[in-house]
Amino acid sequence: MHFYQIIAEIIFWLLVLITIGGGFLAIGARMLIHSLMGLSITFLGVAGLYIYLGSFFISLLQVLIYGGAICIVLVFGIMVGYTPRQIVETRIRGENLLLAVPTCGLAVALLYFAIRRTGWVPAAQRLADYSIERVGHTLLYDFCLGFELISLLLLVGMIGAIIVVNSQEEESGGQ
Amino acid sequence: MDYFPLLPEIMLIAMSLVFFAATLAKPGQALLERAAFVLALCTLAATWATYDQSGLFFYKAYRIDAFSQTFKILIALGLVLILWMGAGLRGINSWFRPEYYMFLALSCLGLFLMTSAVELLTIVISIEISSYALFVLIPLRRQPFQRDPLEASIKYFFLGAAATGITLYGMSYLFGLAHSTYLEDISVVLPGFLATQPLAVIGIVMLLCGLFYKLALFPLHFWMPDVFVGAAHETTCFVATLPKIAAMALIVRIVAMAGPGSHQIELILMIMAVLSMFVGNLSALGQQDIKRLLAYSSIAHAGYMMVGIVSMNQLGIASAVYYIYGYLLMNIACFAVIYNLAPQGENITVDGLRGLYRRSPLLAAVLAAGAIGLSGIPPTIGFTGKFMIFAAAFQKSFYWLVGLAVLNVCISAFYYLRLVRAAYSSVEEPGERISLTIPAAVLGVMIMAGIVLAGVFPQNFFRLTLKAVMSVL
Repeated sequence: MHFYQIIAEIIFWLLVLITIGGGFLAIGARMLIHSLMGLSITFLGVAGLYIYLGSFFISLLQVLIYGGAICIVLVFGIMVGYTPRQIVETRIRGENLLLAVPTCGLAVALLYFAIRRTGWVPAAQRLADYSIERVGHTLLYDFCLGFELISLLLLVGMIGAIIVVNSQEEESGGQ
Repeated sequence: MDYFPLLPEIMLIAMSLVFFAATLAKPGQALLERAAFVLALCTLAATWATYDQSGLFFYKAYRIDAFSQTFKILIALGLVLILWMGAGLRGINSWFRPEYYMFLALSCLGLFLMTSAVELLTIVISIEISSYALFVLIPLRRQPFQRDPLEASIKYFFLGAAATGITLYGMSYLFGLAHSTYLEDISVVLPGFLATQPLAVIGIVMLLCGLFYKLALFPLHFWMPDVFVGAAHETTCFVATLPKIAAMALIVRIVAMAGPGSHQIELILMIMAVLSMFVGNLSALGQQDIKRLLAYSSIAHAGYMMVGIVSMNQLGIASAVYYIYGYLLMNIACFAVIYNLAPQGENITVDGLRGLYRRSPLLAAVLAAGAIGLSGIPPTIGFTGKFMIFAAAFQKSFYWLVGLAVLNVCISAFYYLRLVRAAYSSVEEPGERISLTIPAAVLGVMIMAGIVLAGVFPQNFFRLTLKAVMSVL
């Protein structure tokens, strides 16, 4: 193997490690803010993987929007909002573990063998055509319906969140 | 571009905008209710008017054809009937009624988009729009109640998130194999991949997971009983019926895309259908709460519908569509009874039905029509639908599948007839008479007539569903 290829391989696995490690931290941490830190590490790892795939613009957006904006909003939410003082111990019961581990193992094994046995057809070579212009065209022409629907989805999510919170508050206030 | 074929979607957007404005003004319930009913009727008329339209929209991501329009008619009809049945919104927190109607319209819009979307990303987003609106609708139940509706909503949300994750993961494999997110492009190469590449089979099944969740098919059915018990009756009736119709439309499109030759997919769908029927029917046997019982029966019915789809021929899929129409009517019959029996929107047990025929003969008859239809006893639409589904499976010589399905029909008769027996058993003190409003009585009679007439004379309706199915297969 060529020297540069080895380096590329190492970087790839390093990025995978960062992504997965961040994910474990996010679900395993006992403090909410630590979970958030894990999440942001995962976002950065994914941004690295995008660079590895050659799409710099998407990677930049990933850092800017997910690693930056969304994480800051979440930090803000955690710090301003109510945080429980006592941290609930996550108990993983034995029988759950007994069922979960073999199931996950089986799924991973199944996917692994399926992936190995599949003959992947490489995509037609694209000549580094990941410019902003191209991304804009794809979003506003080919995927314009999905693009518009996502804004509707966000609207539903936002109004929905407000309504759900209000409906609960009103009831706890003793109607 | 001619936008006339998109009229039903535009109507629903208009409906949600009207109620969005109403959230600020908070008008009275009578006005809201009439506006919702009229707008839903207009949507139904719009689906009917665009029935003959066809075409591709939005850079080939959105397809209008006889198939999608048939499903839209069913969904719009369901919306009209549910609004009619839930007149007064007795189970809903009174402060949030405009929002309730708005999210009903948005959820319906998501379902409309699902029936027409022919591009993977659009499919995911439309599934999410319909689901998110439902997550919001469930906690709007009036308090206090035995079970927390918020718990139901959160369970629904988490399982939905997991199912969507699996769907997206499956889509990534399909995209990796086919290099396209358009069903039209994928369908060209997919039959070849299914024969040679094991990952294509896994990808398709994972892709279907998000739809199985909406249909409440066996491994993804856990949310159903909790949501049924936790949500208000009006919401439950919506959750039980309309998302299933749209999910079935997409499942048929995707299975048709895979082509009828894939035996692995056939086998997986068959196993899921059988397990779904057994889990649903056996769990329903011991239930006391009627809504919980209906939830398990609904899981079993997802299994029956899959039997029709597994046949992968025109007769099978057309009968499945016909059956889901019947399922809609029969469920609305059962929920209309529950809704009218519970003035405060509380849950009702099977024992609570005792002596119903003395309290309200009409409601008892409607319940009997619904339960007998669901159990598949002639001359109802439930019988005709099941008969045609099993006939289609028989044609494909799935003998053991038909045998197990018939066994399940026998099991289910126990608990459906238990409902009828309770309603018609005599008790010392039946309780006070239930006075039905005139619209509620008219709805009851209409639904009863629909269940029987569509069962006795299936030809015309069946011709419509067959025409719809022919445009995708």
